[in-house]
Amino acid sequence: MEENKGKKSHAIVEVIESGPLKITGNFTLTDVKKNTEDSPSEVLLCLCGKSGSKPYCDDSHKM
Amino acid sequence: MDKEYKRFSGGRRYNNDEITVYWKPSACIHATYCFKELIEVFDPGRRPWVDMSGATTEKIIDVVNLCPTEALTWKWNDEEKNLQVGEDQLNHIKFKRPELLNTNETYPEGDSLSVKVLADGPIILKGHFTLIHDGNQKEYQQSMISICRCGASNRQPFCDGQHRKIGFHD
Repeated sequence: MEENKGKKSHAIVEVIESGPLKITGNFTLTDVKKNTEDSPSEVLLCLCGKSGSKPYCDDSHKM
Repeated sequence: MDKEYKRFSGGRRYNNDEITVYWKPSACIHATYCFKELIEVFDPGRRPWVDMSGATTEKIIDVVNLCPTEALTWKWNDEEKNLQVGEDQLNHIKFKRPELLNTNETYPEGDSLSVKVLADGPIILKGHFTLIHDGNQKEYQQSMISICRCGASNRQPFCDGQHRKIGFHD
């Protein structure tokens, strides 16, 4: 079983300087409405508070 | 786990058989209601300054609810009871520090991470993961941390409750 999940690896969470939170690897994401997404391949979550599509980054931090 | 948790909550916690009181010093604005009303429990001149045996649970809850910030908050140790708490309980963690909820949940198994985005609040990371920040890399196992999502935290990348002060909304 675990072998089949082998494509997914240990989760890496990276705070990108002056940018979003990048999450890759084996993780689940639950949004504010409590919808859970299993194993997305990668997400970029807004950390500046300005994104128009929260919780995701929409590059508003560059403005 | 205990250690991680304390660091995450940015303060200390005190409990009796029925409730846990959380103290978050960074949020204190020295309104002094706590020790004026209940010096038997909240005595700034004593260490530790909170003595949960100094009054009944009911009295402690009443006084914690007087705190105008999230410096003092509380929860029932019986998680079921927390679900039924009403809004009259102003300083229950449900209303002031939702990031502390569900801390008795089990962690994801093995090499896995649960990412939860709290409404108008931080991102909660729970489980096993590597955090890369500012050129540093740190391993977390069976851990829980909260990441600032409003951009205003003074202890980046971690949440320090500023989202409430600046009125951050999704």
